[in-house]
Amino acid sequence: MDEHNYGYNLSISEKTKMVPWEEKVRVVEEVKSDFRFKEYLFGCLNCGVCTASCPSNKFFDFSPREIVQRFLENDVEVLYDMMHEYIWACSQCFTCWIRCPFGNNPGGLVAIMREVAVRNAFEATKELLKPYGRVLLKVMTTGNQLSADMLQPDLFPDWGPKMADIMEDLKAKRLAIPFDIGKSVKTAWEVSLETIIELYTIWRETGIFEMLEKLDPNLYNVIMDIVEENEERYQKLYEGEE
Amino acid sequence: MAHAELESKWGYVSPGGILRYPEEPPFPVKEYDAHYDHIFEMMEELEAKGEILIHRITEEYQPIPVYTRTGRIKLIPTNKLWHHKSCGQCGNIPGYPASIFWFMNKFGLDYLNEPHQTSCTAWNYYGFGISNPVALATIWLRNMHQAWKTGYYPLIHCGTSFGSYKEIRRQLIMNKELRDAVKPILKKLGRLTEDGRIVIPQEIVHYSEWVHAMRYRIKELYEKEGKAKKIDVSNVKVAIHNASHTYKMIADDYPYDPEVYNGQRPAASTAVIKALGAQVVDYSTWYDCCGFGFRHILTEREFTRSMAIQRKLKVIAEEVKADVIITHDTGCTTTLEKSQWIGKAHGMYYPVAVMPDVMFAALACGAHPFKVVQLYWNFSHYEPLLEKMGITNWRELKKEWEDAVKYISELEKAGKYDELMEFFKEYDLYEPYSKTSTGKPRASATADIPLFES
Ligand code: SF4
Ligand code: SF4
Repeated sequence: MDEHNYGYNLSISEKTKMVPWEEKVRVVEEVKSDFRFKEYLFGCLNCGVCTASCPSNKFFDFSPREIVQRFLENDVEVLYDMMHEYIWACSQCFTCWIRCPFGNNPGGLVAIMREVAVRNAFEATKELLKPYGRVLLKVMTTGNQLSADMLQPDLFPDWGPKMADIMEDLKAKRLAIPFDIGKSVKTAWEVSLETIIELYTIWRETGIFEMLEKLDPNLYNVIMDIVEENEERYQKLYEGEE
Repeated sequence: MAHAELESKWGYVSPGGILRYPEEPPFPVKEYDAHYDHIFEMMEELEAKGEILIHRITEEYQPIPVYTRTGRIKLIPTNKLWHHKSCGQCGNIPGYPASIFWFMNKFGLDYLNEPHQTSCTAWNYYGFGISNPVALATIWLRNMHQAWKTGYYPLIHCGTSFGSYKEIRRQLIMNKELRDAVKPILKKLGRLTEDGRIVIPQEIVHYSEWVHAMRYRIKELYEKEGKAKKIDVSNVKVAIHNASHTYKMIADDYPYDPEVYNGQRPAASTAVIKALGAQVVDYSTWYDCCGFGFRHILTEREFTRSMAIQRKLKVIAEEVKADVIITHDTGCTTTLEKSQWIGKAHGMYYPVAVMPDVMFAALACGAHPFKVVQLYWNFSHYEPLLEKMGITNWRELKKEWEDAVKYISELEKAGKYDELMEFFKEYDLYEPYSKTSTGKPRASATADIPLFES
């Protein structure tokens, strides 16, 4: 059993042990100072209902009850450690939220912890989020998170042979979708240029581009190239209109 | 049931405050007059103070009242709807939105399906944590403002968007700091009212709630047109999978009904299946999520398929042998449909049809299984279901769709766009290019659209 103040059965990684105490306190306080925190955590009976109904608990070493208890005990060491890998097991289904007799929202706490982990660009978070480059590129530049051309068969071999079949003459099959803006291949539906320009403004003003730059500078550069290109297109097309 | 009859049955009085209850709770309710419900009063107060403008569900939207689990009356607008599409649906389950449009056409309803909408971007947030409440709220409010500006009422297709928007609205109403953070950005975008207010819809409405509210009209259509095509769903065994983000997130804001387990389980989807006369079968893990998990479907796939197979597909096959699993969300449909094949590798293959309520209902009412319901994209074992429903000519219907794809492909490759546009005039459910709300020339966020410029 690792030594730390409270955590009874969760081991602490060597990396976490090396981090200065003040830094761990700072990160945990960042979570606790989020305006949602007070709406997500009340008392806790330790009844375990959340964990018993948690899908991630069935297949991972993961327990929403632990998270709630650690916050109530202010177990900084364990909480800081959880923010590197543990929290990413959560499926964000919010079964815990509907079932908790206290109205706690452990899944919501996980959402805040994840956001803080991303904002602080932890090395573990960077590694963990690497495979999502394609999704991020899509959502940041087009305003759609998914599109037909993203489901490449080699990325989803466990979905069976139909994947390859779908990709054959994909464009014609997309055109056979019976409403006009749903016929696109690179986006789920056609997003208008003026709409995507508004989304770029939102990303800028809310610090999401910065968040991404810290996390993955290469991806950030690619995204900004597309953003700037679209902004130029917009200016040329609608110059003098507004 | 006629609208007037519903009004008298449900004790719904309009106009008036937006927080309403019937005189008697219609079933044993969870916490009548619940905490969450009071955000509707807070919305009225914020409107009176001039901070927000409520996009109200007026008579032109032809609302139908439903109950929530607290006994609150939630109005579901049924006409003049602005389609807030789902990226997962349009990208990978295109028959999902197509079936919604098909019903709206059948009922002669007015709607707007335009390109001036972004995804909610909440999948990104729940999966990867890359965003924050201010960004999520501003994106939501931008989309809502666009709907309000057009005069159409937003109908949210995706369960993820619906759950996220319900939560954001609660946060926004309860937290002045969040309102203060989004306001300057909305102002910059021109997305406040002329007198500087934030536009917030009276109700956040999921398409499954629309299907639920419209179930008797859907039933009528089935009786008239589906049965005329010899379609019969009375022997079809249906297992329901409700989506976590529709009824577990902001749980007090989703329909419950005395007809469905006496109001003790979410009513949408189950009620329409019952109205159609199919057999709803109960199974022990009805409460479990599908295993989608946002990031898990992409990179923790062992978890996703384990959950889908062991907690849903296997249980449903062994306990009730359903002919179809009915869903009402994008992620669940994808997960339960696409996690079947790999079961063969583990000796756990439980083939079953999987589709959302609206696609099943459209099939029952006689919609073309491939041109409209777009079953081509469906990975589940749906053919035996079609046979059982009496759609025994599905092979010919599939051939018709394949021929259409071939024809489109030939015209597109030959650059015959005028002919293609003519073809779409007949083929498409929504008149192309005509109806968008801005006068700007058409231009898109990606290089391969407009349609034929690749
Ligand atoms: S939201 Fe996360 S912690 Fe809560 S039940 Fe779902 S997987 Fe478990
Ligand atoms: S369900 Fe609620 S009260 Fe029970 S252990 Fe979980 S957080 Fe604590």
